[in-house]
Amino acid sequence: MEGTSDFTLVTRKPCFGLPTACPNCLPAYIYLKLSHLPFQLAFNSTFPDSEELPYFENGTYVAYNNEDGGVIEKLKKDGIVNLDSQLQSLPEYISLKALIVSWLQEALTYEIWVGTEGISASKIYYSDLPWVISKVLFYKQTYLAKNRLGLTKENAERREKLIYKRASEAYEALSTRLGEQKFLFEDRPSSLDAFFLSHILFTIQVLPETSVLRSKLLEHSNLVRYAEKLKSEFIEASSSSPSPPLHSFPSSFSGKGSKPKSKPKAEKTEEEKKFKKRARFFLAAQFLAVVIYVSVMGGVSSDDMEYEDDD
Amino acid sequence: MEGDQDTSDFTLVTRKPCFGLPTACPNCLPAYIYLKLSHLPFQLAFNSTFPDSEELPYFESGTYVAYNNEDGGVIEKLKKDGIVNLDSQLHSLPEYISLKALIVSWLQEALTYEIWVGTEGISASKIYYSDLPWVISKVLFYKQTYLAKNRLGLTKENAERREKLIYKRASEAYEALSTRLGEQKFLFEDRPSSLDAFFLSHILFTIQVLPETSVLRSKLLEHSNLVKYAEKLKSEFIEASSSSPSPPLHSFPSSFSGKSSKPKSKPKAEKTEEEKKFKKRARFFLAAQFLAVVIYVSVMGGVSSDEMEYEDDD
Repeated sequence: MEGTSDFTLVTRKPCFGLPTACPNCLPAYIYLKLSHLPFQLAFNSTFPDSEELPYFENGTYVAYNNEDGGVIEKLKKDGIVNLDSQLQSLPEYISLKALIVSWLQEALTYEIWVGTEGISASKIYYSDLPWVISKVLFYKQTYLAKNRLGLTKENAERREKLIYKRASEAYEALSTRLGEQKFLFEDRPSSLDAFFLSHILFTIQVLPETSVLRSKLLEHSNLVRYAEKLKSEFIEASSSSPSPPLHSFPSSFSGKGSKPKSKPKAEKTEEEKKFKKRARFFLAAQFLAVVIYVSVMGGVSSDDMEYEDDD
Repeated sequence: MEGDQDTSDFTLVTRKPCFGLPTACPNCLPAYIYLKLSHLPFQLAFNSTFPDSEELPYFESGTYVAYNNEDGGVIEKLKKDGIVNLDSQLHSLPEYISLKALIVSWLQEALTYEIWVGTEGISASKIYYSDLPWVISKVLFYKQTYLAKNRLGLTKENAERREKLIYKRASEAYEALSTRLGEQKFLFEDRPSSLDAFFLSHILFTIQVLPETSVLRSKLLEHSNLVKYAEKLKSEFIEASSSSPSPPLHSFPSSFSGKSSKPKSKPKAEKTEEEKKFKKRARFFLAAQFLAVVIYVSVMGGVSSDEMEYEDDD
């Protein structure tokens, strides 16, 4: 097949032992791996808020994530690769999809931006930006996420309970449905495996050990095994440095770093120092600007007083 | 059941009826239907004071109250507190859980979208704000529309795309539920469950309340077995006790087409009177506000040109 070297998936950069640390990009990556379509992986960190990522290129053809229901849907519709061809009108397929892309995705969104206080979010989206800008963007995204989840001060606790309850029920249903099968549907991979595997890997490898959602997932050992098998067969078969098995992942922050992690850590410390210097400079400049502004405005409103003093 | 002597104490408080439904509020209707499916005798009472209130519907029995904004909703609370539980052997089945996701997430989102955005809020005003002065109801309506758009993740930029996705998911949900249901009476074997309550509420609302131009409504009407399912349950459980049955669902082209049934002409006469009163009040409010704005602007304008006036006077 000529032109295979032209298939490129552009995602956010890797982290936490995952080929891409962005929860929106990972399903597309896994989908392509499950379909055995050869492709290159490229990274783009310029726009943390961009809804275009991930996107898929092949020569002049581009499939952005914010078109037509997402990259995976577009790849199916445009005939690039369709793993769901005989499944998508089955009631089980449709209802399991709702569990995964609504209930589990909401729970993950909640956990990233609110439940774990955004510890992971900063690393995924903002680690390349100056500290001040990243803080601003982080607060903006947290605000948007809370709106999206319908959270208000008044109902926050209630909504959290409901979100976790639905996630638990979804894990139950999927665990019962899956049993010891290799894929969710018979012996063939589908886009639902891509979405679900992405959710599991993200929840175990990225969320901290204190995460409620992560603990709920780990209660279902068959789901962990499902993810491990698919990960080693499809995702790591082509990578040189395999990460530790999922069940040995207590926490991303526990210091039991595997090889791929110690290198990025050294880089980060250097970058962190540079950014912290810049951040201090920014803060000082802003503080100065505020002080100047206040004194000027204060001066204007007491103009009358000053005239009298001078005269 | 213990407390048979207390049956007269079971009261469900909802928003008022409209559109031929016992309650026109899409959050209240499932609880009503759930109680009807369970054959628990109860009284229905109405509360129109707080259009934004998340407490409605609530269920009372003596000193026991179950508000909708506690513990996952009135129906969940009725199950948990042992009042009536239709889901006792179902709720850990994968099919139950996944169908629930279809109904309470995909279909509910589609209905929320259709009420507040897709049909430009025509129905919303009637359900929530028909008792309020026009100005206040407009303000509340815009506030709720804004909140609904946030909730659905709609922005100017992605509005078209999100709408497509919302309708697509609703279509797929209707497909799945239609295939799953076939010609059965209930979603699960021969027994009613809370999912029937949620789903029936969605269907009745979509057919009877949304206008004929509604995209969501047209998609639903493509599945005749879903319409039949709703008709059967409606006549058996909801109208068995009511004196004036409404027309069958398949003859409901539109709530606004003028083929009104008896219950509608009476509220219409009342509304015209109230509307006139409220429009008078609204005009008065508007005039008062305009006056206030004019006064404020002239006062503030006066303050900033104080210096000029001093020079002129001197």
